[in-house]
Amino acid sequence: MKEKDISPEESMALINAMIGRARKRYTDNSFYFLLWGWITLIASAIHFYLLEYTEYPYPYIGWSLNIIGVIVSIFKSVKDSKKRVVANHTDGTYGWLWLALGISMFTIIFNGAILEWSVVPFIILLMAIGTFVSGAMMKFVPLQIGGIVFWILSFVAFRSTEAYQMLITSISMLGYLVPGYIMKFNAKRNGV
Amino acid sequence: MGFNQPLDPLLHSQLRLAVVSLLISVETADFVYIKEQTAATAGNLSVQLDKLSTAGYIAITKGYEGKKPKTTCKITSKGVDAFESYVKTIQQYLKP
Repeated sequence: MKEKDISPEESMALINAMIGRARKRYTDNSFYFLLWGWITLIASAIHFYLLEYTEYPYPYIGWSLNIIGVIVSIFKSVKDSKKRVVANHTDGTYGWLWLALGISMFTIIFNGAILEWSVVPFIILLMAIGTFVSGAMMKFVPLQIGGIVFWILSFVAFRSTEAYQMLITSISMLGYLVPGYIMKFNAKRNGV
Repeated sequence: MGFNQPLDPLLHSQLRLAVVSLLISVETADFVYIKEQTAATAGNLSVQLDKLSTAGYIAITKGYEGKKPKTTCKITSKGVDAFESYVKTIQQYLKP
């Protein structure tokens, strides 16, 4: 592209062409949905099993996997941001949304004793917000359906015992994993 | 054609307009990405980016990715204003 005089028509065409090129065609955030989907599924399944079938005094032990999740997520996002040649306006917003939800989840769990540890339905509600809004931002319907699944399961969880709330959490992870795998598959197919 | 107001000469140039149109759509963009999207030569692009940066239309951050230099560009609010008024003026030119 060289320096030369351009007509107003050419200017408009150029502006449209460049904006069209910059528009992101596909977003692949599947890594985080798959990572957190599997961590939560495993941790809640362990929690359910230990509560329901054993006398183990620390049934929540599986949740220590969250520490690995946080470290891997931070490491991956720092690595990706260094490699990235272009950052779209929405890229940073996902991070802020999930950070805000993560802080809210931590606040609920930290004060869990006040709620007599019936915290799961609230956590599932927060996951519903994150998944539904992320899906809307990416224009990715499977993720929005995942959000609706979380809302339905939260209704059920409000009416269940602690052990069965953990089982519901395990099942609810389909709301992360199914859209996560669809996203990953699409990204591969579209060569993102 | 009756011109109500002159076009901003900084933006009324093919490569600089391409760069600003690209940057208006994204948060930040790497030098390599801009070069690819505009199909400009590195030398020419460098000169035009400097002009835009001197005018305060874009902000350039120079850093490193490993050992390789990495130049990142971002449009400033002054650049956004200039782009918007450029588009408005162009639209007046295009009015039948």
